[in-house]
Amino acid sequence: MNRTVNGLNLKYFKVAFIASILSILSFALPFASVGGKSYWSLGILPDLLGADEAGGMKVIFLLSVIATAAAILLAFANLAKPSVLLTRLWIAACALQTFGDMVTMFGTKGMADRAGIFGDAFLVKNFGAGFWIGLAAAFVSLYFTMKIAKVNPGYIVLVILAVIWLFPILWILLTSFRAEQGYYVGYFIPKGFTLDNYLNLFKSDSVIPFARWWMNTFIVAIVCCVLNTIIILATAYVLSRTRFSGRVTIMKIMLIIGMFPGFMSMIAVYNILKGMGLAQNLVALIVVGVAGAAMGYQVCKGFFDTIPRSLDEAAIIDGATRWDIFVHVIVPLAKPMIIYTMLTSFLDPWSDYIFPSMLFGDKQASYTVAVGLYWLTDFRRIETYYTQFAAGSIMVALPIVILFVFLQKYYVEGLSGSVKG
Amino acid sequence: MKDSQKQKKSGKRSLISIFKEGDIFSKLSFIIWGLGNIVRGQIAKGLIFLAIEVGYLYYMIQGGFQALANMVSLGTKEQGMVYNEQIGIYETVSGDNSMLILLYGVATLVATCVVLAAGYVSIRSGDLARRLKLQNKEVPNLAEDIKMLFNSHIHRLFLAIPAVGLLVFTVTPLIYMILIAFTNYDASHQPPGNLFDWVGLTNFFKLFGAADTLSATFWPVFAWTIIWGFAATFSCYFGGMFLAMLINSKGIRGKKVWRTLFVLTMAIPSFISLLVVSTMLGDRGIINILLQQWGFTTQSLPFLTNELWAKCTIIVVNLWIGVPVTMLMTTGILMNIPAELYESAKIDGANAFVSFIKITLPYMWFITTPYLIANLIGNFNNFGVIYFLTGGGPLSLDYYKGAGKTDLLVTWLYKLTKDSKDYNLAATIGIVIFIVSAVASLISYSRSNALKNEEGFQ
Repeated sequence: MNRTVNGLNLKYFKVAFIASILSILSFALPFASVGGKSYWSLGILPDLLGADEAGGMKVIFLLSVIATAAAILLAFANLAKPSVLLTRLWIAACALQTFGDMVTMFGTKGMADRAGIFGDAFLVKNFGAGFWIGLAAAFVSLYFTMKIAKVNPGYIVLVILAVIWLFPILWILLTSFRAEQGYYVGYFIPKGFTLDNYLNLFKSDSVIPFARWWMNTFIVAIVCCVLNTIIILATAYVLSRTRFSGRVTIMKIMLIIGMFPGFMSMIAVYNILKGMGLAQNLVALIVVGVAGAAMGYQVCKGFFDTIPRSLDEAAIIDGATRWDIFVHVIVPLAKPMIIYTMLTSFLDPWSDYIFPSMLFGDKQASYTVAVGLYWLTDFRRIETYYTQFAAGSIMVALPIVILFVFLQKYYVEGLSGSVKG
Repeated sequence: MKDSQKQKKSGKRSLISIFKEGDIFSKLSFIIWGLGNIVRGQIAKGLIFLAIEVGYLYYMIQGGFQALANMVSLGTKEQGMVYNEQIGIYETVSGDNSMLILLYGVATLVATCVVLAAGYVSIRSGDLARRLKLQNKEVPNLAEDIKMLFNSHIHRLFLAIPAVGLLVFTVTPLIYMILIAFTNYDASHQPPGNLFDWVGLTNFFKLFGAADTLSATFWPVFAWTIIWGFAATFSCYFGGMFLAMLINSKGIRGKKVWRTLFVLTMAIPSFISLLVVSTMLGDRGIINILLQQWGFTTQSLPFLTNELWAKCTIIVVNLWIGVPVTMLMTTGILMNIPAELYESAKIDGANAFVSFIKITLPYMWFITTPYLIANLIGNFNNFGVIYFLTGGGPLSLDYYKGAGKTDLLVTWLYKLTKDSKDYNLAATIGIVIFIVSAVASLISYSRSNALKNEEGFQ
């Protein structure tokens, strides 16, 4: 193939062509062997299509075969007269073929066992050379046809990764709407959909005080968000932009303290809180959160360090005090950092488990969502409450995800600030 | 006067020189705090210092000295039953509470340090007032002092709350816990029923040496912590970098959509995704069910119940959580790599892999070393992934009570604190974790210092 066609990279044509040929040839190889008996691909296709259940699967089996045939036709068409349109069609055929082959891998057992095609129960390891070569050839031809058309083959990997990444999310989303209760169900897509799981969570006579948990966490998060942000900004400002004796010592001490596991001393903290009369109280969470907030000053300080010092000097010449500089110069400039700090300090209480679990013991009314939801997955409760657990998880995750997606930009800025730190 | 100016320029004046130079009031102010301020007109300020001193002395006489003295023995009177002749029954007589004794002792120590610092400040402030008077300058009154809090002394204003918070809720408990590591405050020595006592380094010896179930637990847990830390950090690092490069690469459309899609999994609080994944991976969880329905296996796979399986599962699931984070972080840095580098490499005949090894990796390594080490320390202490996925399981009979095969030092520490109440062991492990983190940080610190001396990445 030395002919040059605009927009096509014919260097890869040979491999793609061979792969397409190979995938049609694989129909001639044994598709599966069960109990010592080999089956031929096209031989069992009528049986599979004849199975009286599950319409969707049949279509996909048929699609797989048709796409394979279409791919080889398009391969020859491209051989005769390469063009962008024909190559794109070829890619589409290869993609369909790959998709069909993948579904075949997952779906054959279900179809075959129900229709009793193989007699014995079928397993994936029973697939024969025909199937595996066909699958591999499908991927190879897809990859190289994309190369020909200068489409980035990275899409293949991205799609596979996206499926893996979304699988648990999809599962919990579907479970939260599932009408059938219980943990152990043998299927992915619920048989019936309902909103009851959500409604039950917020019913006033509900056994699990989820609304209470949610509000507890929300209150702590809002208060911590405001107070922690103020403290972090103030600490970072002082440590970054003023010089006083003991400044370096303070930073060193904080560094050393930070290397101890935070909850190592929680039993002592618990006793101190008890002495203050705050044990088993939500205020305790806020107090402890605010007390330790200053430890998170580094990212913010790193940001302040990059603001030119001449701004401060100019302001001082104009008669501004340090306080004025903080309020009128630094804070307005630090907007992205403030949003980042607020976001992280708002999010922390939602996933904080260790300290609340220690603090509240079995006082369920004070639980935060993390402790409450963990409590629900206990083996004594999971069977009864699994769908409600799913609904609760969505109720916690959804607002945070929305917040996060909108403020992503600021999060990335903060994150990359901490990398350089 | 010339001398004092010189001193002022040269920075801090030592307490000795203050004592030598000062007049009688300055000398007296070493004993009566605030006197130096009061005689120079800063009455309110001086009185505050004096009040701190008097209050402290009052507290110490009332019980502070006793609290410190008690720390030596940690209590002597055990709780017991005493026959009460008047009523004719045995009564429980409360004994000493070692835990509270130690806590009060530590609190008194911290308070003493704070008060001594206040005393130091008062002496210096009195001396400053004296020198200002000598120079015929105005001595600031209270209102001016408060004004200074918003200007040249703003660090005192801004650091006051964090300092108090950290002292009460971080430093005091930490000192307390470090001391606990040298006691026998374990499940069988629980106040108020029992006393506990100082035992020196016994806990460390039990943990590190000797043929004991404790050391038989500690070393495997320690080894797994290290292995896990490296595996988790580097798998996510390379995975995230790969994903970021994939999305960044030419010809991928809808970059923002792809990124958001992966960020979605990152935004979900990790305890939720971990709990969900943990329920999915159970013996009868959906993954095992689907694997059987699809014909990949005939029986449930022991994702979380077999030691080796569980360890691999944890690392893989951690990828699911960690890769988007690294992806998000490295995206910006990857885009900063000068494109000419790649172009000239391409002209020299380098393929994608070679230019990754020769250009991308060194550049990323250079920029992200501090992040990697912070991440490594974070993973050594990654409580969530282990606790929510396996809870440390599978449990093992060879291990000390409650510890499991996938427990990290931190999760074991948590279990020792919350479940078995062996606080002394928990504290000892906490110190070990500190040492591990400190060593890693020191390496990071010296490395970044070495890098600062270089010309930067070229």
